[in-house]
Amino acid sequence: MTDPITAPPVIQTRAIIKSFSGVQALRGVDFAVHPGEIHALLGQNGAGKSTLVKILNGVHKAGSYSGEILVDGKPVAFASTSAARAEGVGYVPQEIEVLEQLSVAENVFAGHTGLGRGPIINRRRMEAEARALFQDLGLAIDPRMLVASLTSAQRHLVMIARALSFKPRVLMLDEPTASLSGVEVERLFSVLRRLKAQGKTMIFITHRLPEVLAICDRATVLRDGRVAAEIDREHFDEEHFIFAMSGQKLQRLYPDHVAPPAKTPPLLSVKNLSIAGRFGVNRGVSDVSFDVRPGEILGLAGLLGSGRTEILHAIYGRIPFSGEIEIDGSPVAIQRSADARAAGVALLTEDRKRDGLLFNLPVGANITIGNLAPLSSHGMVREGREKSAVLAAMRALNVKARSPQASVAHLSGGNQQKLLFARVLMSAPRVLLLDEPTKGVDAGTRHEIYRLIVDLADKGVALVVVASELEEVIGLADRCLVVADGRIVDEFTRGEGSEDKVLRSITTAQATLQQQALAAGAGRA
Amino acid sequence: MEREEHMERTVERDSGFEGSGRAMRDRLTRFVAVGEVGVLLALIVLVTFFYIMEPAFLSERNIRAILRVVSFIGIIAIGQTILLVSGEFDLSVGAVAGLSAVCSAKLMTALALPVPLALLGGVLVGAGVGLVNGLVVVKLKIPAFIQTLGMLFIGQGLIQVVTNGYPVYPLPPVITEIGYADFLFGLGWSFVFFIAAALIADFVLRRTVLGRNMYATGGNPEVARLVGIDTARYKIGAFMTVGALAAVAGMFVMADLASGTTSIGSGWELNVIAGVVVGGVSLFGGAGTMAGGLIGVLLLQVVTSGLVVVGVNANWQQIAVGVIMVLAVGLDILRRRYFIAGSSSAPVAETPSNPS
Repeated sequence: MTDPITAPPVIQTRAIIKSFSGVQALRGVDFAVHPGEIHALLGQNGAGKSTLVKILNGVHKAGSYSGEILVDGKPVAFASTSAARAEGVGYVPQEIEVLEQLSVAENVFAGHTGLGRGPIINRRRMEAEARALFQDLGLAIDPRMLVASLTSAQRHLVMIARALSFKPRVLMLDEPTASLSGVEVERLFSVLRRLKAQGKTMIFITHRLPEVLAICDRATVLRDGRVAAEIDREHFDEEHFIFAMSGQKLQRLYPDHVAPPAKTPPLLSVKNLSIAGRFGVNRGVSDVSFDVRPGEILGLAGLLGSGRTEILHAIYGRIPFSGEIEIDGSPVAIQRSADARAAGVALLTEDRKRDGLLFNLPVGANITIGNLAPLSSHGMVREGREKSAVLAAMRALNVKARSPQASVAHLSGGNQQKLLFARVLMSAPRVLLLDEPTKGVDAGTRHEIYRLIVDLADKGVALVVVASELEEVIGLADRCLVVADGRIVDEFTRGEGSEDKVLRSITTAQATLQQQALAAGAGRA
Repeated sequence: MEREEHMERTVERDSGFEGSGRAMRDRLTRFVAVGEVGVLLALIVLVTFFYIMEPAFLSERNIRAILRVVSFIGIIAIGQTILLVSGEFDLSVGAVAGLSAVCSAKLMTALALPVPLALLGGVLVGAGVGLVNGLVVVKLKIPAFIQTLGMLFIGQGLIQVVTNGYPVYPLPPVITEIGYADFLFGLGWSFVFFIAAALIADFVLRRTVLGRNMYATGGNPEVARLVGIDTARYKIGAFMTVGALAAVAGMFVMADLASGTTSIGSGWELNVIAGVVVGGVSLFGGAGTMAGGLIGVLLLQVVTSGLVVVGVNANWQQIAVGVIMVLAVGLDILRRRYFIAGSSSAPVAETPSNPS
């Protein structure tokens, strides 16, 4: 933790502690970025990266955490994102946030004042300044173009230009390569190298190790809300990073489960599944095939944006795909979620608030929605039958709510999750797809959910589990597929896997992809 | 009660929150959140107020006048409530009512079709317009506001095209008989139809799978699709229901006037939407009841009529309607905030998850 460099850090945090509803996200983070460096901020999902970033750019306001932020050695307190910007912290978010119907120059200077006289904007001056900015970046983007006509990589560069237009002391780039192809990544890196040559200081937030090795000067690795390691370029080494990122966590207790015999015929077969990438969100999925046997828990391990969620959504008919899905060896046509349900497939979605709960309906109706057919006759809901089904489901899954009439909004995260499990299980699915089944639930519920998953497998349900925490996938799954950039890059069975191994195969796959893309780019040039 | 309090505390502890004022606040908000209770109280207060100001307000004649208007507008409000619950709304109902009325009038006069067939034709015109609205909104993803506002103009234009601007009369005597029937305190057939349709619609919304799926569709269409509900069909169906009911209302007014007048339905769309929204039917979909929506329509009519009876300048009626509607929507937004604030009161993330 000693600084080999003597110049004062451009931005520094001291003992930052931040908790959400009693859960500590950051447990005393000391983080320092020195002038002129590209500093990597690394960590697995949930390590505290985004919390730290949100504190540094003023999303989490001063006072909502303890500890200190110093810019050029001076303590600062950010009351808002614009305060952080005024103190010289530039931030380029991961999601592309542009105003499509405006020109490039207007996008770059959105949020600026004083570009002309009073409220009237001097368009010529704005365009000239934007052109100068792009020249500095070594880019040939015409400031008068409509942003709607730009590619996602170009839009990203516009956002970088926007952040630079505020003349920041330090520029934070949040997963800048998440939605870029290999060639585009290389182009972005040349922009970053140029900025570095001009003396700019940058923080590069990522979980892709090859990129850190390629461009960063120093790295801070977060794990469980603490700084696990601070590494200089001369000590850069994949092993070192992987060890720092995964560390030795306390083993959680997972219920025992014996995988079904290998010769059991598969219940769900996915053959040559491909999904088109979504513009600016991910790179899609290409040619993924796998089988799941009845009673088997299959884990999909991979980083965010790797395509693991998309695979589940495709099987459930939520997004269009090409390829074949077979249940019990016979192909089923899945075009809508209703088709998947009819085939005995159920999906538990990741985001309870966005696509899980119906906040306009009470607990009971939330459980029975979509499952009303057996609880009704002649189209009328039989209240008695519905109520007893709801109570039975609530009891079976230990959903704690005041009554079936209670509002779902006031349940705890764990109870909301169990409620959604109750909904999904009411249709007695044979194939269950679980996307982050323990996201945002307390430790007790987490264990209940693990128990439930294993019980379902014991009853012959085929389960596919996606989880951000590698340890969870590894602990729970009988067999684990590693997904990186929309492909399956590795596979191992229970006992063979470890977090190290997963991270390593992802890193190898990403490095290969990057090289391939570079070769392709070079071939084209 | 004691048990409820105990559970409440458990829930609070579960969500990691403490605070003694919270339970009380919760209960108050929840009371307000029940749409019908608030609007019913407001209705009683207003009726009492106008009665004290001017006892003639509760005269038989005035009550009949209020209920007559409510029976026409209320028929459309039934459809509008269903549509709002499914997450859309229709601004073209007034024009559709007028268009259906003059079309059926033309069918029974110019084309000399039998009256039942002509009336059916009118209903089909309404349902057809609803089908177009629904298809455009659902399939072409054009916002309901734009599509139905456009349809309002189109409908008004078509009324002129069909009639050349002249009222269609005389109508067959059966129509006049329907309009002049004065049983049930002189309220007649339109009121009977209104009550029957309201009871059926209320039953459908509250007790049937169809109704439940409607609420799910309006509450969160994404979730509804995920649980296998064909949200497109539900929305289009709701648009057609509004259209057909608007047609029925338009034809009742036609019978009442004994003439296919071109002004039938003009300006109703806002009264209908304002009414049901005042009654707690959410503009954002998925919330509200038939009883609430119809009490809201009655409330607005009571205010309009009350101000006249009390002797307030007619210009103030519209101002009052406007103020009441804004207040009601404000209440709706507060109610929604209560739900959404509630949803975030649960611990957001156990391990602070990385949204990146």
